[in-house]
Amino acid sequence: MISATLVQVIVGGLLLGAVYALFSSGLTLIWGMMNVVNFAHGDFVMVAMYTAFMLWSLLGLGPEASVPVAALVLATIGILSYFLLVRHIMRGPMIAQILGTFGLALLLRYTVFGVAGANFLSLPDHLLGGVYEVFGIRLQASRLVAGVVALLVTAGLHLLLTRTTLGSRMLAVSEDATAAQLMGIRPDRMQAAAWGIAAGATGIAGALIATFFYISPTVGETLAIIAFVTVALGGFGSVPGALVAGLLIGLIESLSAYWIGAVWKDVVVYVLFVAVLWFRPQGLMGKS
Amino acid sequence: MLHRRAQLAGWLTAAAFAVLPGVATAQSTVKIGAIYPLSGNAASAGTSAKAAIEVAVDIINEDRPELGELTLAKGLGLPNLKGAKVEVIFADNQGTPAAGQNQALRLITEDKVVALQGAYQSGITVTASAIAERYGIPFMTGESVAANLTERGFKWFFRTTPVASDIAKIYVDFLNDRKAKGEKIEKVAIVNENTEYGTSIAKVVGEAAKTGGFNVSVVIPYSANTTDVQSQVLQLKDNNPDAVVFISYTSDAILFTKTMQALGYKPRILIGDNSGFSDASYIRTVGNIAQGAINRSAWDVGKPGSPTFLINEMYKKKTGNDLDDTSGRVMQGFLTLVDAINRAGSTEPAKIQAALRATDLKPNQIMMGYKGVKFDDKGQNILASALLIQIQGDKYVSVWPKESATSELQLPYKGW
Amino acid sequence: MKAAPARNAVWAVAVATALLAYPLIFSSPFQQRLGALVLLYAIAASAWNIVGGYAGQVSVGHVVFFGCGAYAALATYHHTGLPPIAGVPLGIAASVGIAALIGVPTLRLSGHYFSMATIAVAELARLVTTNTEFLGAAVGLSGPTVPRTVFDLSFISALPYYYLFLAVLALTLGLTWWMERSRIGYYLRAIRDSERAARSLGARAGRVKLYAFMLSAGLTSVAGALYALMFGFVDPESGLGILISVKMLIMAALGGAGLLFGPLVGAAILVPLEEISNSVLGGRGAGLTFVLYGAIIVLIARFRPDGILGLLRLRRRAEVPPKDKTDAP
Repeated sequence: MISATLVQVIVGGLLLGAVYALFSSGLTLIWGMMNVVNFAHGDFVMVAMYTAFMLWSLLGLGPEASVPVAALVLATIGILSYFLLVRHIMRGPMIAQILGTFGLALLLRYTVFGVAGANFLSLPDHLLGGVYEVFGIRLQASRLVAGVVALLVTAGLHLLLTRTTLGSRMLAVSEDATAAQLMGIRPDRMQAAAWGIAAGATGIAGALIATFFYISPTVGETLAIIAFVTVALGGFGSVPGALVAGLLIGLIESLSAYWIGAVWKDVVVYVLFVAVLWFRPQGLMGKS
Repeated sequence: MLHRRAQLAGWLTAAAFAVLPGVATAQSTVKIGAIYPLSGNAASAGTSAKAAIEVAVDIINEDRPELGELTLAKGLGLPNLKGAKVEVIFADNQGTPAAGQNQALRLITEDKVVALQGAYQSGITVTASAIAERYGIPFMTGESVAANLTERGFKWFFRTTPVASDIAKIYVDFLNDRKAKGEKIEKVAIVNENTEYGTSIAKVVGEAAKTGGFNVSVVIPYSANTTDVQSQVLQLKDNNPDAVVFISYTSDAILFTKTMQALGYKPRILIGDNSGFSDASYIRTVGNIAQGAINRSAWDVGKPGSPTFLINEMYKKKTGNDLDDTSGRVMQGFLTLVDAINRAGSTEPAKIQAALRATDLKPNQIMMGYKGVKFDDKGQNILASALLIQIQGDKYVSVWPKESATSELQLPYKGW
Repeated sequence: MKAAPARNAVWAVAVATALLAYPLIFSSPFQQRLGALVLLYAIAASAWNIVGGYAGQVSVGHVVFFGCGAYAALATYHHTGLPPIAGVPLGIAASVGIAALIGVPTLRLSGHYFSMATIAVAELARLVTTNTEFLGAAVGLSGPTVPRTVFDLSFISALPYYYLFLAVLALTLGLTWWMERSRIGYYLRAIRDSERAARSLGARAGRVKLYAFMLSAGLTSVAGALYALMFGFVDPESGLGILISVKMLIMAALGGAGLLFGPLVGAAILVPLEEISNSVLGGRGAGLTFVLYGAIIVLIARFRPDGILGLLRLRRRAEVPPKDKTDAP
């Protein structure tokens, strides 16, 4: 028998999963296109959340302003990171990327810490509308918006990569930079564009998550591991994969927390993740 | 390599000594080390603790006759040490037991502090106080509640805060009081984060509730710093207990409150145990949707003009926030430690230790609502106690027990 | 190139002398402890280096083995009353066993998938330990608070730890050196430098990687046990937290992964940087320690992606025929 509570658990899990997919899409783009693992990803989300908070507390602006502004701010940070750091560490071994982006993570986290302080912050509730009850199921407007935007961002990124010249150029660079260069594509520009777009998507995610989550300098740490697992489970570079993986993880977390117990929900997710890698080493929707 | 290494080490040492306060300072200051989480996940609490100790230093060093009988408020500095001033050297434990221990060693051997205080997280208090014990330096904690801290046979360890059993007692007494007044309270649920703090308090509260005649209908442990708590809230909704006790750090406390609103769940009585619910950030971020939440505390701002009110004003001037219970307990620990140093009339560790053992502070000499401060053989304050406070408007007011209440208890939990 | 061995010998003697003399020259308790910590992290990072540097399999879950060592030592003391050091063989055995168990499925994963799988395994270990009463659950396990006999290895001074750690580090580096020159080392280099070479080695490549993983795991668990001896306490966050995995990795990467002395150099820079900047700046409570720490890591990664000693490897690479660059992991 499916009780009303169970439906609520499932709906909540799917909405949560959409949020996971939302903040993972930027990560999977960079990861798949450039084979770079961005350990600062969680802190990109954090910076976007603070951007949203600043816009509200200083200018009284809501998400309709903070989403585009955060996207711009993060895209700038992404492009700057590419030219100042990532371009150079890509020449080194894979651990140089972990080293460099981990350093970047600390730098971002504790610069914000120094400026904004250690306090927990939060946007006022109802900034994005209240809570609606549909057939006895409670839906929070801010989470619904985040879920819809997750679908839009995924579709947008997917179309960008598969249907546009920019996308096919970016993919060409990721397949073989030298060959792309011979065809007159400048790898540097394409990769900078990938970082800009990925970080911009992360900015959208952060600004929306800020409407229903708390904000603190270390919040990125909490979100980062889930993003890594989402991306690896979906398959590096697969934007639709991240969406499927995000929804799956959200649903599994919710159900296992409800049925087995909250302390075991991450255990279930990690076991499932390792099991998937056993059978499909390239993730759910990654290229082998 | 040798050269470069020696050079490196030399440079590092020089840097350390150039910036750290020198060993040979004037005799007119007494140095105390304070180890708190000033970075990492618990930095919010650590920063508040630091501010609270700075207020305490101000009270001790300056003449504050308006604070009445509070220890060392009157007069300048420490009278028994020829008016010596107190200087606190803060250290960041970075949220790790290793950093906590390294810093304890640094404070003792490089800065020559005469006593240590800290370290918020119980696990870090374990390692930091172990160093103090080996060096024979008094270690005071005003806030770490883990039961095992005072069970280690340490001779230099002292704790002023109430522990899990004191806390459980006040909750159960309160619920029994409500029951006696005719309210239907049978089922009690416990939601706790599963690090040391949440686990130990949940265990003791659960046992006390059972002994007190309640049905502990569900215990929901969860991992701290979680991303989502919808399922936990729905479990509570299913179970429909008469009272819920939350034991959470700030991040999760905020998340629970927001999620309960989103899912439209209100228990009749909501108790949020200290830590997260006491954080000034909690009231500022979600206080408006947690109206009527009950918390234990030993801190009460009191009436305008009273010493506690004035202390709160000093703290507010410094931080912009009201003093919270955790920071208040930190402050009381520090005041107790410095009072002992003053009574010892010496900075010799053994004399301070003896003075701490002889501590017997009366309620009017302390800022917290304890029945006093007096240590047993294990270093635990046997007069520690707590009262219940409730969020009404934008602050906590004291509501139970009746004799110490400043406002009327408002039930059921109103939320938003 | 004939002068190389002689030059290397001179370097080795110089480094050894400097390490032996350090705590006698810098003799304050804090300086001695700093030295001991450098060696402790150098052991862990060197152990990581065997699989992460030499085999090019970037594990971000090595804390599992570190935790095994730390927990074995303190659980032995907690449950039997024996000195913690008696738990070391248990920790090594458990680590090597776990390495074999998780190595078989994960080592065939390529690049980042391996890293992610190791993160997941480490998080699993942390979560399960947090809920296991036998291992102290969330509260953690403590060592003997007051040393009963000398075998408890509980000292006030850091000096005995320093020389103990130095001996273990020498052993770790000796084993690494031996491995580097053995057939295993030859295969590992081939695997790391070219996927194609690895494939032509077939099943043997897999087995060699597994051996390296097990050796690395065993040594990492010793580092964990030594940590537990010195600090006398372990809980899930300090014994199994992801940050420790990352620390091992960045120390090796900073000094130069896949180089014998890379992790030692990395530890000798990062540990004092962290401890001294924390001592000097930490008390101000503005997070300056980590801004500085992060900035230095970023700068080194930016200007020396191969690590501080990376130039050495470039020089060495120039001596072997050029390889297909796109095959690098």
